[in-house]
Amino acid sequence: MRLFSKDRPEIPIVNHTKEDGSAWTIKEKLLLGLSVTEYKKQFFRNPVNWFMIMIFAIGVPLILGRYAFGLGWVTHASNDYPWGLFLGFGLFGMVPLSASGFMLGTTVELFGRKDFHSIERLALLNGLLGYFFAVLFLEIDLGMPWRLPYPMFVSLGPAAVLFLVAWHVATYLSVQVAEVLPALFEWMGWLKGKRIIRKYVLGLTVAGIILSTLHQGALGALFTYAPAKVHPLWLSTNFQWLHFFVSSIFGGLSMVIIASTLIKNFMGWRCDEEFKANLDYVTVGMAKGASLAMITYLVIKLVAVAHDQEWTYLLTGWGSYYMLELGVAVVLPMFMFAFGVRNNWVTLIRFGAFIAAIGIIWNRLNTSLVCYNWQMYQEIPHWKEVWITVTIYALYFLTYRFIVYRLPIVYEWKGER
Amino acid sequence: MKKLNRRSFIKGGLATTAAAAVLKETKSEASGDFDNYPEGMGVIVDLTRCVGCRSCEAACNKEQGLPEPAVPFDDFSVFDIIHHGEKRRTDETAYTIVNRYDPPEIDHPLFRKIQCNHCNEPACLTSCFVNAYTKTPEGAVIYNASVCVGCRTCMIACPFYIPTFKYSSAFTPRIMKCIFCYDTRLKNGKPPACVEACPQEALTFGKRRDVLKIGKQRIRETPGKYVDHIYGEHEVGGTAWMYLSSVPFDKVGFDTHVPKEPIINSVKEFLAMVPMVLTIWPGLFVGFHLLATRKDKIQELEKEKELRKLKENDEKEEQV
Amino acid sequence: MQTRKKFMRTALALTTGTILFAPIHLSAMDASDAPESVTIDSMAKLYAPVEFDHLMHTEYASCEECHHHTTGVQVADPNCLRCHANTPEADEVSCVGCHAADRFDDKYLATLDDPTIYHIDKPGLKGAYHLNCIGCHVIIDGPTGCQDCHAMTEAGEKRFNTGKHAPAGGNTSGAHH
Ligand code: SF4
Ligand code: SF4
Ligand code: SF4
Repeated sequence: MRLFSKDRPEIPIVNHTKEDGSAWTIKEKLLLGLSVTEYKKQFFRNPVNWFMIMIFAIGVPLILGRYAFGLGWVTHASNDYPWGLFLGFGLFGMVPLSASGFMLGTTVELFGRKDFHSIERLALLNGLLGYFFAVLFLEIDLGMPWRLPYPMFVSLGPAAVLFLVAWHVATYLSVQVAEVLPALFEWMGWLKGKRIIRKYVLGLTVAGIILSTLHQGALGALFTYAPAKVHPLWLSTNFQWLHFFVSSIFGGLSMVIIASTLIKNFMGWRCDEEFKANLDYVTVGMAKGASLAMITYLVIKLVAVAHDQEWTYLLTGWGSYYMLELGVAVVLPMFMFAFGVRNNWVTLIRFGAFIAAIGIIWNRLNTSLVCYNWQMYQEIPHWKEVWITVTIYALYFLTYRFIVYRLPIVYEWKGER
Repeated sequence: MKKLNRRSFIKGGLATTAAAAVLKETKSEASGDFDNYPEGMGVIVDLTRCVGCRSCEAACNKEQGLPEPAVPFDDFSVFDIIHHGEKRRTDETAYTIVNRYDPPEIDHPLFRKIQCNHCNEPACLTSCFVNAYTKTPEGAVIYNASVCVGCRTCMIACPFYIPTFKYSSAFTPRIMKCIFCYDTRLKNGKPPACVEACPQEALTFGKRRDVLKIGKQRIRETPGKYVDHIYGEHEVGGTAWMYLSSVPFDKVGFDTHVPKEPIINSVKEFLAMVPMVLTIWPGLFVGFHLLATRKDKIQELEKEKELRKLKENDEKEEQV
Repeated sequence: MQTRKKFMRTALALTTGTILFAPIHLSAMDASDAPESVTIDSMAKLYAPVEFDHLMHTEYASCEECHHHTTGVQVADPNCLRCHANTPEADEVSCVGCHAADRFDDKYLATLDDPTIYHIDKPGLKGAYHLNCIGCHVIIDGPTGCQDCHAMTEAGEKRFNTGKHAPAGGNTSGAHH
C-alpha cells in the first residue's frame, strides 16, 4: 500500500480528527482518508483484486442461476450425497476455523490473560466472519433459503441436533456481533454503545463458551445420524462431538495465526506498534495452546478407535488414508508447533498453522463427502458448485479485508484517550 | 472496565442459566422415544413372490401424481440401468423402485421393491429440526412440505436412502418420498396403491404385528424356502415394511449393517451431554474467572481501601 | 359387480356340477367334474379377462395342486396334511369361494383378528391366481409374461404409460422378459 506515504501522516486513520483539527466524516473514513480517485487507483493496482474480479465475474451469475433455476442447476442434484461442498466446506469447515472468537475471548476475559489482548479483537472478528459466512453458505445450500427462521419461530423440532445448531449458531452470531461492536462504535465515535456492551462482556464470553462447545460438538453429532454411511474410522457415535469440538480449538487458533500473519505481511500499515510487537509472543502462545489441543485430539481419536474395536480397519486402504490424514493434518503441524514454541521459531509455527487449518477442512470434507457413503461411489462436486464455493469464500476474504482496513482490529483507536 | 465484576457477572450467569433451563425443557420432551403405535399398519414384502412386473411402480406413479416416466412401466430394460455403479433408486419422480438381482446361489433372479419403510422410530423424523415428519397412528411416516426448509438432513439420516429432494425446482422444492398413500388410502382403511396393484401378492398388507406373524408363519411352514430372518423386524428399531428373502439379504441389495437400534440412539450420547454443558459450564467458567483474576481483584480491593482511607483522612482533616 | 356376479355363477355351476356328479360327499372329484373353460374376469380392468382352458390344465396338474383340499383329493403338502388328511370335498371349490377379492380392505382384515383363525395368510383372489399360475408356469416353462395370458386394456396402457400412452421419445415396444 504505497499510497499511504510519509507525507500524509493522518493516514491511516486512527483518530476522529484530522491534522487540521476537523473531524473525519464517515465517508472519508470508509475511503480510508483517500480521495475517490486515489482509492480506485490503489484498488486496481492490487493484483489480488483483479483475481477477485475474475472469480466474481463467473461466480455471481452462477449464484443468481442457483436461485433462478434451483440447486439442481449448480450441483449434481445427488440424492445419495445430499450435502456437498456448500455444507461440507462452508459449514463444517468454516465453523471450526472460527472457534477463535470464543477461544481468545475466554483467554483474555475469563482467564485474565491480558497479554493476549492485542490479538483478541482479530480473533473475535475472525469468529464473527466465519460464522456469518457459514450461514451465507447455508443460505446457498438450503432448498428454501427464505425459510431460514422456520426452525426458530415457525415449526420447532427440538429433538434434532440441527435444531441445536441453528439456535446456537444464531445466538452465538449475535453474541459475536456484540463482541465486535465496540470496535465499530469506537470507529464511529459512539462511546455509549461501547460502554453498554463492555458491561456484559463477561456474560457474553461465558455464553460464547457454552454455545461454542455445544454447536461445535453438534456439527459432529450431525454425522451420528448416519452411523451406517460414514466410514467407521471417521465416525464414533460416542466421541464424535468431542472430536469436532477439540479439533475446533486448534482450528480456530491456527486460523487466527494465519490471519495475523497475512495482516502483518500485507497490511503492515494498518497494525499499530503494540500489535506488531506482541505478535510473535501471542503466536507462540497460541501455538502452545493449539499443540495441547492437538495431543488431546489424537488421544481421543485413538480412544474412539479402541472403543469401537476398529483396529482391523486401519489395515485397509481406508485405514491408510485415515493415518495419512492424522499424520499430515494433525501430527505434522503439532510437531511444528511444539518445535516452534520450544525454539521460538515463529515462521515454523505460521507454516504449521497453515497446514493445520487446511487439515481441519480436509477432515470435515472427509467426514461429509469422501468417507461418507464409503461403500458407494465417490461424488465429485460439480464445477459450478466449486466455483460458487470459491466465490463465497472470496467474498469472505474481501469482507474480512474491508473491516480490518478500517475498524480498530489490529490497532488501537486513539480517539477517546 | 474492572467494574463489570460480580454484578454483571451474575447477570450474565443468570441469562445463560435461564437459557439453559429453557433449552433443557425442550430437550427432555425430545428424548426421541416415540410411542409405538400398536395398531399401526405394515407390509411384508416377500421377495420369493415378486416377479418384477413393475405394476407397483406404475400404480404409485398414478396414485401420487408423479411425473410421466422416461420409459414405459412395462419396459424391463430398466433393470439393467447402472448409475455410478448403483442400481436404480428413488428420486423426485419415483417413490418406489423395483430392482433385479442375480444372486449366484440360485438359478433365477430375485426382485426387490424399495420405498419408504415407515420406521417405528424414523431417522428422518428425529433428525428434522422443523418437525416436518409425522408418524401417524396408522403407521405412515408423512411429510409436511409447508414447514420444510430444505436442509436435507433427513436424507443424510435415513438409513435406507429413501427421501429425495426436488432439486429441479427453484421456488417450490421439497422432499419427495413414499407416504404409504396416507392421504388417499391408508387413512381410509385402504391398502396403498402398490399393494393393491401387485398381482403376486408379494406385498402383504395388514397390521404390522399381524404381517409379522404372517412372515414368521411362512418361514416356519416352508422350511428351506426362506432365510430365517425378517428384515425390518428389528433393523433400526423396527420398520412397518418388512422383507422375506430366499437368499441372505446382503445378496439382494439390503444393507445388513444398519444398526439394530433406532438411529436416534446413536445420537443420544450427544443429546445427553447437552444439558450437562448448559448447567455446568457457566458455574465452572465463572469459577475459573474468579480464580484467575483473584490477584487483580485483591489488588483492586486494596487500592479501593487505600483510596477510602485517604478519603476518610481527607474528610477528618476537613472536619478538623 | 357385474363381473363379480358372473364369477359367482361360474362358481355356482361348479358347485352344482359337483353335487350332481358326486352325490356322496366323501368321494373325490376328478377332472371330468370340472367345466371345460372358465372366464376369469372378476378383476379385469388393466388387462382383458382371461379365457382359462380348465380342461387343458387338468392335463398338467391334478385337482389338489390348484384346489388344495377342497376337491376331496388328498393334498401333498405335509403342512396341509396336518389338518386336511381326510378332508372331504368342500361345498365350495372355486377360487373365489375362499380367496377374497378385497383381501386388504379393513373389513376383511378385521375378520382375521379372530385368534382361532389359522389361515391368516390366505392370499386374495388376484394373488391366488398369479401365485398359482406363474408358480407352475415357471416350473413347466409355461407362459409367464403378463400379456401372454391377458392383453393389456386401454386403461392398462394408461397406467403403464405404454402403447398409445407411451412417453414421447420413450421405448414403446413394451419389451417383456
Ligand atoms: S425409511 Fe427412511 S424415510 Fe422412511 S421412515 Fe424410515 S427413515 Fe424415514
Ligand atoms: S429437508 Fe426438510 S424435511 Fe428434511 S430435515 Fe430438512 S427441514 Fe426436515
Ligand atoms: S407389483 Fe408386486 S410382483 Fe410386481 S414388481 Fe411390484 S412387488 Fe413385484
